Amino acid sequence: MQASADSTLIAASASSRQSAAPLRLSWIGLAAVLVTLLALIPLGFILWVTVQTGWETAAALIFRPRVGELLVNTLLLEVLAVPACAALSVALAWLTERSDLPGARLWAWLCVAPLAVPAFIHSYAWVTIVPGLNGLGAGVLVSVLAYFPFLYLPVSAALRRLDPALEDAAAALGHGPWSVFFRVVLPQLRLALCGGALLVGLHLLAEYGLFVFVRFDTFTTAIVDQFQSTFNGPAANMLAGVLIACCFALLALEMLARGDERYARVGSGAARRLVPASLGRATWPCLLLFALVTLLSLGVPFYTIARWLWAGGLQVWRLDEISAALGHTTVLALGGALLATLAAIPMAWLSIRAPGRLQRVLEGCNYMVGALPGVVVALALVTLTVRYLLPLYQTLATILVAYMLMFLPRAIISLRASIAQAPVELEQAAMNLGRKPLDALWSTTIRLSAPGAAAGMALVALGILNELTATQMLAPNGTRTLALAFWAYSGEIDYAAAAPYALIMVAASLPLTWLLYVQSKKMAGQ
Amino acid sequence: MKSMLSAPVLCALAGMLLAAPAMAQDKEIIVYNAQHESLAKEWAAGFTRDTGIKVTLRNGSDSEFSNQIVAEGKASPADVFLTENSPAMTQVEQAGLFAQVDPDTLALVEDQYRPSSGQWIGIAARSTVFAYNKTKLTEDQLPKSLLDLADPQWKGRWGASPSGPDFQAIVSALLQLKGEEVTAGWLKAMKANFKAYRGNNTVLKAVNTGEIDGGIIYHYYWFGDRARTAENSNEVELHYFRNGDPGAFVSISGGGVLASSRHPQEAQAFLKWIVGKAGQQVLRDGTSYEYTVGKGEASNAGLVPLEDLQAPKIDPHTLNSRKVTDLMTDAGLL
Amino acid sequence: MSFLELSGLRKSYGPVGARVAAVDGVDLAVASGGRTAIVGPSGCGKTTLLRLIAGFERPDAGSIELDGTRLAGPDAFVPAYRRPIGLVAQDGALFPHLSIAANIGFGIARDAPDRQARIAELVRLVGLDEAFLQRRPHQLSGGQQQRVALARALARKPRLMLLDEPFSALDTGLRASMRKAVAGVLEAAGVTTILVTHDQAEALSFADQVAVMRAGSLIQAGTPRDLYLRPRNRMVAEFLGEAIILPARIEDGRAHCLLGVVPVDSTVRHEAAEILLRPEQIGLEAGAAAPAGGVDVVVTDSEFSGPTCTLSVRVANGAGEAGALVLRRAAAGAPEVGTSARLTVSGSAHLLD
Repeated sequence: MQASADSTLIAASASSRQSAAPLRLSWIGLAAVLVTLLALIPLGFILWVTVQTGWETAAALIFRPRVGELLVNTLLLEVLAVPACAALSVALAWLTERSDLPGARLWAWLCVAPLAVPAFIHSYAWVTIVPGLNGLGAGVLVSVLAYFPFLYLPVSAALRRLDPALEDAAAALGHGPWSVFFRVVLPQLRLALCGGALLVGLHLLAEYGLFVFVRFDTFTTAIVDQFQSTFNGPAANMLAGVLIACCFALLALEMLARGDERYARVGSGAARRLVPASLGRATWPCLLLFALVTLLSLGVPFYTIARWLWAGGLQVWRLDEISAALGHTTVLALGGALLATLAAIPMAWLSIRAPGRLQRVLEGCNYMVGALPGVVVALALVTLTVRYLLPLYQTLATILVAYMLMFLPRAIISLRASIAQAPVELEQAAMNLGRKPLDALWSTTIRLSAPGAAAGMALVALGILNELTATQMLAPNGTRTLALAFWAYSGEIDYAAAAPYALIMVAASLPLTWLLYVQSKKMAGQ
Repeated sequence: MKSMLSAPVLCALAGMLLAAPAMAQDKEIIVYNAQHESLAKEWAAGFTRDTGIKVTLRNGSDSEFSNQIVAEGKASPADVFLTENSPAMTQVEQAGLFAQVDPDTLALVEDQYRPSSGQWIGIAARSTVFAYNKTKLTEDQLPKSLLDLADPQWKGRWGASPSGPDFQAIVSALLQLKGEEVTAGWLKAMKANFKAYRGNNTVLKAVNTGEIDGGIIYHYYWFGDRARTAENSNEVELHYFRNGDPGAFVSISGGGVLASSRHPQEAQAFLKWIVGKAGQQVLRDGTSYEYTVGKGEASNAGLVPLEDLQAPKIDPHTLNSRKVTDLMTDAGLL
Repeated sequence: MSFLELSGLRKSYGPVGARVAAVDGVDLAVASGGRTAIVGPSGCGKTTLLRLIAGFERPDAGSIELDGTRLAGPDAFVPAYRRPIGLVAQDGALFPHLSIAANIGFGIARDAPDRQARIAELVRLVGLDEAFLQRRPHQLSGGQQQRVALARALARKPRLMLLDEPFSALDTGLRASMRKAVAGVLEAAGVTTILVTHDQAEALSFADQVAVMRAGSLIQAGTPRDLYLRPRNRMVAEFLGEAIILPARIEDGRAHCLLGVVPVDSTVRHEAAEILLRPEQIGLEAGAAAPAGGVDVVVTDSEFSGPTCTLSVRVANGAGEAGALVLRRAAAGAPEVGTSARLTVSGSAHLLD
């Protein structure tokens, strides 16, 4: 979901190279423009519906106390959960990267692993353990546990890349350890913190299942309520409009906070080897912190799933249903990942080989679209297909396009990073050896960027595996993914029957999360 | 990369895209199902077993589907529409999208459980109840009427699932019985007093744990839970409002065949099967605990007989779902 | 009593059982106001030594005293931020998130009344315009960054300045002028300085005391001239410049070697030893100009490389002991391949241990 800010997570810096052939640029540029126009459809559609609804009705639906309530809820959630995630992540990342914490590598992995547990399964686990858990406090608690890895990943990568010479310089200028941390280390984490915070913030706006379990209303839950009551009524579309405004407000806020700072190493020469800080007597409290975080973010979900599986016994393993759900999920995940990766090729190529104004505009568009919650994309596509494109209505094609739009940024970023590493000279050599431009592109750069494409596909597949709202709204008749099956059972409070699905989703996510972890290590040069 | 994107894979992808519309094959009907998934699955399995006709369920909720069918118009892929409550049926009927139900199917159901138009038919019934925690409320503390819950003394003490179609149907009955002004006022007071949950099961669970003293739900959630483990209901008792109160509303679940159905015969056969002996027996003997509506088909013996509930007399035809969601949106409940 | 005194310093890294000594028993005394260069190949432990002095590392053994105050020892350790020691790192280590003014002022208390004035004074001191103050580090060239780093380190008025290869990232042309400028600024400020470098020319030209380090130990310390002309061993000799090292037989203060009989700077008697000659001590003349004395050689190969050329010559003395030498000469007027020439030695040879 909202992969736009995954960019900061992986922090791929595009080294620009000269375009190899202007002729080819035009074709690829055209493809990139087409993909972007497609991506802009949901956004444009919601705006168009707003205009069509008429100002009076729209105003009546937007300026009402319920929307105010949702805004307050959303604001409180963001203001509490995002800083909490940030503080926790910085503390954990510093301890795993810069201190002599025993077992730091294991803890680092355990700080990423909660990503393998879909947010709604975190929530399901907590509601099982503390049945009365609800409201803002519960929403914040579960959000922080489910989403802090999104901040931990970039912050720990940034800490690893940070030049320790700066800290030495500050110490040599008479600053004690705390002063060095707040005046030198923390400011340099700004980019990572901004990017990660944006990612968490957007996820909070888009999340549905997590908040349903703990009974906390956000725009997304309200839109789904409206959808379930009125299908694609104007009230749902107006709420979607406000939600879009919230997303853009977050994007703008992040841009402001990020500023145009430069945080790269100044000067050349190899960064010195890190000397880990000695924790001394603080070692045990720090280990306790990690144990606690692991217990809450991994122990609780795994314990709950195990508990329900035990209670449910063999009869919850309805193998025909489970294998059908697994099959549907696989088709959707693979199809969506493939489509998103194919669509990402022109954009990714353009941003590395031919950066310029066109590329910046296109990238900006994709960035905004990637920030839209699945519920908004789905609502737009449902309305659009049912009104104007009936042959595509409720088809696999439409849901795959929705996935493509939602997860395109993930695919672009992974692909871009690996295209940046494929030298343009190879393309030129291929042309020199008699290949036509597109053929040359295919046989060199695209083949070399296969690992990046695979990583991107894995990330997209992970997103689709855990997707609930858009799948619910767009799936072809008879489709039942793992997430949908889990949701149907847990909606009937049949938590035991939901448990096998939870287990399968977590098990399928774990390798993908591991990939993310390894990739972030690689990006930091380790 | 090349191997990944090579011809066979692209063909497979194209095949997947083309296969989607082809999912609906002959001898197969698509059902927009707003009924409980477990109940619909039992019906579908029984029907397929008896007739060999495949049934594909799309699960959702009442007014989601009624609005969806209206939006889809004649192009709707659905053959049959099943609901939990009747307002959604009325909406589709008013849009002129239902086909006439076969006369011999209509003949199977009691008159009061189907509209005179014959455009759709009752398939099951359920009663509104006030489920309360017996450790928190004694019988004399119970509300006499649904309207009493607007009283400030109930602030923070009761719950409901306003986004669900069940509760919306109850509000539509209130609207029909007491008019728009009373309903709007009651909804406003409700917004101030109640706690919102998603799903009646969740309300029941909250009553059981004592989070709230009571909640407005349908009867069968309690029976169903009692029949399983009673995990979410062992502290809960049911209170029937009776006296023709809006809170004694008995809601009719409906079924209809769409005029645009590409398999009208199979669709009619499915509807007939549901209200016939086999389908109604699923209600009587299964785990749904909903009331039967078929002539001469007894409900589960454990239920309070329908005749004893003193439900208000309401023509299901008159229940308006769109007005209800508008009023609830105005009150800030949606 | 010297200003800075290191005695018996040791520091090892690595897991128990496979520890590698980076600094292995270093003793060094630095005089007040002096400039000392620690020079050695990379990996010799010189940076670790610097970090021990700065206080970033705690020594395993030994002690560090600055002007009579014990900074590190068995029972004392003053952390880096409490030591009156400045540091200029290899690439300046400017804070990228701060302006130049904020970088220079980083070590000055925020509420110091003369803060702005001091920042301005410092930036002028290192030869930069005040207009630089509002810029960001990445807008400066490498040389400018190093000047800022120096100004920043001077702001706290340190008693000792540590320079960690501060010139190595600069272009060759810039390096010499920066070196001079830095030496001038530090001299004017009267700050005792230690420079760590792997560049022997830099060490020799910058310092008044040079210490050669290898494998964690100081091999030899002394004045630049002394070290260049009288290195203790072959390693020091070769490290500090081009060296011609010949086996010789020493008799009565003279060395008998391939190049004939050469006076040596030692009266110690060795039967067989190695002597060091620097290339500038060797003269090579061809044809009529050839002076008397010395040995005859034949040029066997010549490799032209612009201003200089590298000549291979074969010595053929009467005894039939043939030997080859490689010499670099000015290209202009160098003898052709195949011609004969006369090779002479001026000054005396240095006897290696």
